[in-house]
Amino acid sequence: MAPSVKYWKGEDELLRDQAFTTSQKNEFAEDLPLQEVLEESNFELNSSRRDFLKYFGFSVTAVTLASCFKAPIRNAVPYLVKPEEITPGVPLYYSSTCGACATACGVEVKTREGRPIKLDGNSRSLVSNGNDRSPEAKGSLCAVGQASILSLYDNERLANPLKKGSESDWTTIDAEISKSLNDLAAAGSGIAIVSGSNHSPSTLRTIADFTGKYPTARHIMWDSVSYSGILEANETDFGKKLIPSYYFDRAQVIVSFGADFLGTWISPVEFTKSYVRNRVPAQGKEMSKHIQFESNLSLTGTNADDRFPMKSGNEGIYLAALYNKIAQAKGGKQIPVATSGELAGNSIAQTAEMLLKNAGKSLVISGSNDAKLQMIVNGINMMLGNYGQTIDLDNHSNQFKAVDRDMDTLLADINSGKVSGVIFYNVNPVYSHHQGKAIKEAIGKLKLSVSTASSKDETASACAYVCPDNHFLESWSDAEPKAGQFHFTQPVISPVFNTRQAQLSLLSWSVGVLSPEKDPMADKQIMNQRFQTSPFYTYMQTVWQEKLGAENFQTRFNQCLHDGVLTSEPKTTVVPAYASDLTAIGSYLDSTVSKEGQIDLVLYQKVGLRDGAMANNPWLHELPDPMSKVCWDNYVTLPKSLAVSKGIELGDTVNIKAGGITLNNVPVIIQPGQANGTIGLALGYGRTAAGKVGGSTEKAVDTVGVNAYPLFQGTSSSRSFVVRGVEVSKGDGTYALAQTQTHHTIEGRNHVREATFTDWKKNPKAGNDEPKPHMYTVWQTPEYRRKGATGHLWAMAIDLNACTGCGSCVVSCSIENNVPIVGRKEIILRREMTWLRIDRYYSFSNDGTVIKKENEHYEGAYLTKEKGLEALDKELSNKQGAAYAHYEHVKVVHQPMMCQHCGQAPCETVCPVLATTHSTEGINQMTYNRCIGTKYCGNNCPYKVRRFNWYRYNNNSNFDYHFNNELGKMVINPDVTVRTRGVMEKCSFCIQKVQEGKLRAKREKRSLNDGEVKTACQRACPANAIVFGDLNDEQSEITKLYRNERGFHVLEELNVQSSVKYLTKIRNTETV
Amino acid sequence: MNHDSIIRQPLVVGGKTPTDVTADISRPILNKPSTSWRVGFVISFIFLLLLVWTIGYTVWTGIGVWNINKSVMWGWDITNFVFWVGIGHAGTLISAILLLFRQKWRMSINRSAEAMTIFAVMCAAIFPVFHMGRVWVAYWALPLPNSFGSLWANFQSPLLWDVFAISTYFSVSLLFWYLGLIPDIATIRDKIKTKAGKFWYRVFSMGWTGSTRTWARYEVVSLILAGLSTPLVLSVHTIVSTDFATSLVPGWHTTIFPPYFVAGAIFSGFGMVLTLLIVARKVMNYENYITIGHLEAMAKVVMLTGTMVGMAYITEFFVAWYSGVEYEQYAFINRATGPYWWAYWSMMFCNLVSPQVFWFKWARTTPWFIFMISIVVNVGMWFERFVIIVTSLHRDYLPSSWVMYSASWTEIGIFLGTFGLFFTCFFLFSKFLPVINMSELKTILKNRE
Repeated sequence: MAPSVKYWKGEDELLRDQAFTTSQKNEFAEDLPLQEVLEESNFELNSSRRDFLKYFGFSVTAVTLASCFKAPIRNAVPYLVKPEEITPGVPLYYSSTCGACATACGVEVKTREGRPIKLDGNSRSLVSNGNDRSPEAKGSLCAVGQASILSLYDNERLANPLKKGSESDWTTIDAEISKSLNDLAAAGSGIAIVSGSNHSPSTLRTIADFTGKYPTARHIMWDSVSYSGILEANETDFGKKLIPSYYFDRAQVIVSFGADFLGTWISPVEFTKSYVRNRVPAQGKEMSKHIQFESNLSLTGTNADDRFPMKSGNEGIYLAALYNKIAQAKGGKQIPVATSGELAGNSIAQTAEMLLKNAGKSLVISGSNDAKLQMIVNGINMMLGNYGQTIDLDNHSNQFKAVDRDMDTLLADINSGKVSGVIFYNVNPVYSHHQGKAIKEAIGKLKLSVSTASSKDETASACAYVCPDNHFLESWSDAEPKAGQFHFTQPVISPVFNTRQAQLSLLSWSVGVLSPEKDPMADKQIMNQRFQTSPFYTYMQTVWQEKLGAENFQTRFNQCLHDGVLTSEPKTTVVPAYASDLTAIGSYLDSTVSKEGQIDLVLYQKVGLRDGAMANNPWLHELPDPMSKVCWDNYVTLPKSLAVSKGIELGDTVNIKAGGITLNNVPVIIQPGQANGTIGLALGYGRTAAGKVGGSTEKAVDTVGVNAYPLFQGTSSSRSFVVRGVEVSKGDGTYALAQTQTHHTIEGRNHVREATFTDWKKNPKAGNDEPKPHMYTVWQTPEYRRKGATGHLWAMAIDLNACTGCGSCVVSCSIENNVPIVGRKEIILRREMTWLRIDRYYSFSNDGTVIKKENEHYEGAYLTKEKGLEALDKELSNKQGAAYAHYEHVKVVHQPMMCQHCGQAPCETVCPVLATTHSTEGINQMTYNRCIGTKYCGNNCPYKVRRFNWYRYNNNSNFDYHFNNELGKMVINPDVTVRTRGVMEKCSFCIQKVQEGKLRAKREKRSLNDGEVKTACQRACPANAIVFGDLNDEQSEITKLYRNERGFHVLEELNVQSSVKYLTKIRNTETV
Repeated sequence: MNHDSIIRQPLVVGGKTPTDVTADISRPILNKPSTSWRVGFVISFIFLLLLVWTIGYTVWTGIGVWNINKSVMWGWDITNFVFWVGIGHAGTLISAILLLFRQKWRMSINRSAEAMTIFAVMCAAIFPVFHMGRVWVAYWALPLPNSFGSLWANFQSPLLWDVFAISTYFSVSLLFWYLGLIPDIATIRDKIKTKAGKFWYRVFSMGWTGSTRTWARYEVVSLILAGLSTPLVLSVHTIVSTDFATSLVPGWHTTIFPPYFVAGAIFSGFGMVLTLLIVARKVMNYENYITIGHLEAMAKVVMLTGTMVGMAYITEFFVAWYSGVEYEQYAFINRATGPYWWAYWSMMFCNLVSPQVFWFKWARTTPWFIFMISIVVNVGMWFERFVIIVTSLHRDYLPSSWVMYSASWTEIGIFLGTFGLFFTCFFLFSKFLPVINMSELKTILKNRE
């Protein structure tokens, strides 16, 4: 038996003290100093010195640490009640209609957290997809449309209506304007609404309501750059004042006289889409032949198989010659012209021959605004039987309806007092009419002048009232760009400023102020008045109820809004009756012929800025002109011969004088391809009230370029783009143009490869040389590149034959990837930031052929004959070799160039900090956070596609291109980092889109489909020239293209194993 | 144990005794600075301020204030870097290789040449540091342990090799120089009168006693450091040249670069030593210590290395032609005949043609003439780096990206500013430290008793 041992802790326990036993029952045997702590007695003076020091030390440190960080004030508006459809981080897409120009392409708007950030083509829209009714159709959008999203976030838009230049409110303005209108109508004075070409059914109804209310009111349409010539010619010939639809894909031979249909003419995206269909060579299919006659080298001209420099002043003569040749064959009447209209190489005759051979499968168009010339074009097409085939008057275009003459009439009416009230509905004739000054004076005489311009432009500044219109992304509207094809515009953001869409303004003055309709969702959600639906929505619904019928209307209407389009079946086309007699035109044509030595100025629109309405949009200025690669300016394009004879060099300026108008010190470009005896100048520049980007006298911002509109010589019917008999002299001083490419030839290198269609038919590898031997690498092929590798291997293919060089991809890439805009000065320093550029290379036709036929050669000959040119040529040939003789006859290749994502990337090995590395999916990635900015990678990149952030472009007042204010920053894509100063950046193959696609597929438990991920450039390309995809997917389009014999890698011989394959350019230079 | 040759020309003339040597060489340190020193120092210091300002402006505003662009991403910055690193090489060569080869004539000039090395490397280091877009994270280029997981430097990158090469070079050169200074600092310590002077020279002489044992240790360490420095003479510029040679830019991608760069570095280094010493011997009355014989020897080195460099230029052309690579061929034709032809022909004239005058004895022994040629050499070597860097980059593969480049005032300011730094350091050195190695020099005096 073990002895019982009693253990005790202390004497208290042993003695069983009363207090002790009680305390033992408590959880804590001793009193906790709770009370003391709670009363903060310790903080009083009785605390010990050590405690004091502890507390003191802690508080000082804590306060110091806390004050180290200045908490940034960020404005975030959380959703108190989250809208049903919005999930932060997930984009929402809406269908709408582009409002950048009257062409009105269908768009798909990408919004993130309620703000639109990207525009792309709506694939359902026949305008955006080039009349493709198949389900695979892909819609695209041009550079201008892409860029128009930035205008939404332009903080120079008017925030309130203006009354005599100062801010006012809508109630006051509406009352005053209504009163004024009633007074005018009562007094019998005329009222005019001047709009641009407008084909919106609802808007036209609004205007009809207005003119109905005020009997003295009338509506006229007027465009800065009109198609009056075609409209009037069709009115004369067919009794239809409209523009037909052109089907380039049905034409085997396309002949264009100065019409830049791929760049700026009528509906460039639609035309590019249909044009390209016949341009990509496929076995067993003929490639179309494109012949271009023009003075200025246009985007379309650069894509032509044969391009003939032509003096545009003589266009009529050449058209007549072509007409006569065809009439001769078809037994029609000749146009009697005294002047011979033939170009070097009998190109007119040969063109006629080809057209005749392809009668009914050809298309002749002209960019002229002279109705008489357009009548000859109509005559040619009629004889060839192209009507009903490639030209469609039944499913016509509505895009442009305005005739220049109407503005002249209006001006006269204002001056005679017949019209006393004018509402300028988003037109700016003070700037873009050649009699802008007179119009400005006339506005001063008006009793009521209203502008609906969204910014204080030239016309708005002259008007008494400015009722700022919404941006199209804030508006409800519709459009009918083509007969039977309706587009719908829906707002994707509530108005940023206190603006009101112009239709509502008109309605307020006619049927009275409409009260905003309550949003059907408003009952469920807490929303203030700003979120209420615009009353124009209701108005539009009533208009559409008539069209769609009451039955099941809301569902059908909602479907229309969802699709963005409502397309009816096309009407059957019939050959229109035609009985025009052109014999009378002969003498007129003879009178227009340019004299020897006369210089003609040809005005044109640039692919970026077009007519200048969006001159405050920096993306359009930063987009290099596809031919000259000049940003931020317009300039006189000179032929080499003229420049040499006047001693003018690049960097010099010229003075041009035409019809009493003088433009001094205009910068020049010596433009290869410019026809001798002609010069070119772009419209749309020289704005004086555009804003901080486009130039503003009020804000002391220099104009960008010079205004060429005053040079328009108004003819009786329409404004001609050809200004005859211009005096050119060397100006004072020099001017540096911002060019992104200054070395124009390719130095005989094989970065672009081309072949003729005939050669390609014989050998699909024609022109595509085998890579040079001795390709050796010390590195092992990485796992993911080996045969049978799982996972993705991203690659891209670019078809040089499809690419027209339009620049839509460049703008799209910049918007998608938050690429900063840097301005003229930085581009002069050659620091453009665009991740994607389009390299443009000229080549002389050294084989001397114009159109290859029975050994006819024109080597060394100027294609246009000019006085004294032969002597000059001889002199130049002695000095510089024979190349000058071909200077106006150049060929052009456009080559989009971006990061090639090399398998053995030279940039990756040289980075000391591993900031640029390779992903296991073949993408060369840039880790901005790790970059220390040694720029070594940029030096070692053989493609020179890396871009360095020389400054902190955002939040830098030197680069105030809308990204430096709270509003402008809303356009930034939240999926892409905004790069800081001092780091390198470059094309990422839109890795954010790749990632998004992969995550979506993963969430849906499937593999990624081919074509599901589209890079921004690919999505934008109207020519479908860019294909992106997974090389490890045997069935993918990219894999097929990689097997195409036309494929080659640029700088293949460096063995960097690039992931971008180019397909050779094929030219159809033979007679067809 | 010195055996004086009766036949050889004395390396120090003027019948100097060891007492004279000490007196002559410590005079500038013990006396108040002369007017010419003050003027020179103030001018140098103004240029140093220019350096501070231009660099501050660059860091504050962004590299954008330079004129480098999307194709020529290195311009004056790296040109100047290579230029200054090259200059440093003469010091190391003189102190290390000539020491190993027991070239006693080096003793009059090695101190200043080594000082020059250190200051030149300091100037050089400014450029690769401040050409970084984000200089505040420059330390990321070092393989430092960090909390980011696997982030490490890229050992494939020649820029990283540069970091190691330059820092090793700088630390070894500094050690070597300081070691040689210790006996002389002790001499000054014993002579100086001011309180502060006594304190600092005592600190830096590290308790030098001049005992036999100390001397023996000193000799051994000198030899060890000389042995360590010797490969550095070759390695530093070899590694600098790999910045270019390992890239694929036509005109950079050349295997001849390492030897060619080393020869060029020695060439330019001697050019700079001549420039400095010809002025110094005149101003400080050291004609007896830095004799015509010294100048002649260095002129011969300049001629030899200049010819080597010239041969490399011509070889490059031959190889470009022989390679059959069109980009390579174009790069070299473009150098000679392109828009930067003037830089190329300046380089050719300065580096290949001008040193050939040293075949003539008169040219080698006339200080003002050598001085002129040394300036020409310096200019020529700057142009060499400019030609290599800029003319290669401005027209490389895709003609669409071909550009022109000219420096902005900030870049020029930084370059001039580094001269300010260099000469400020040099003036301070000549005021506070013996410019000539007194203790070593005493060993080669003819009349030591």
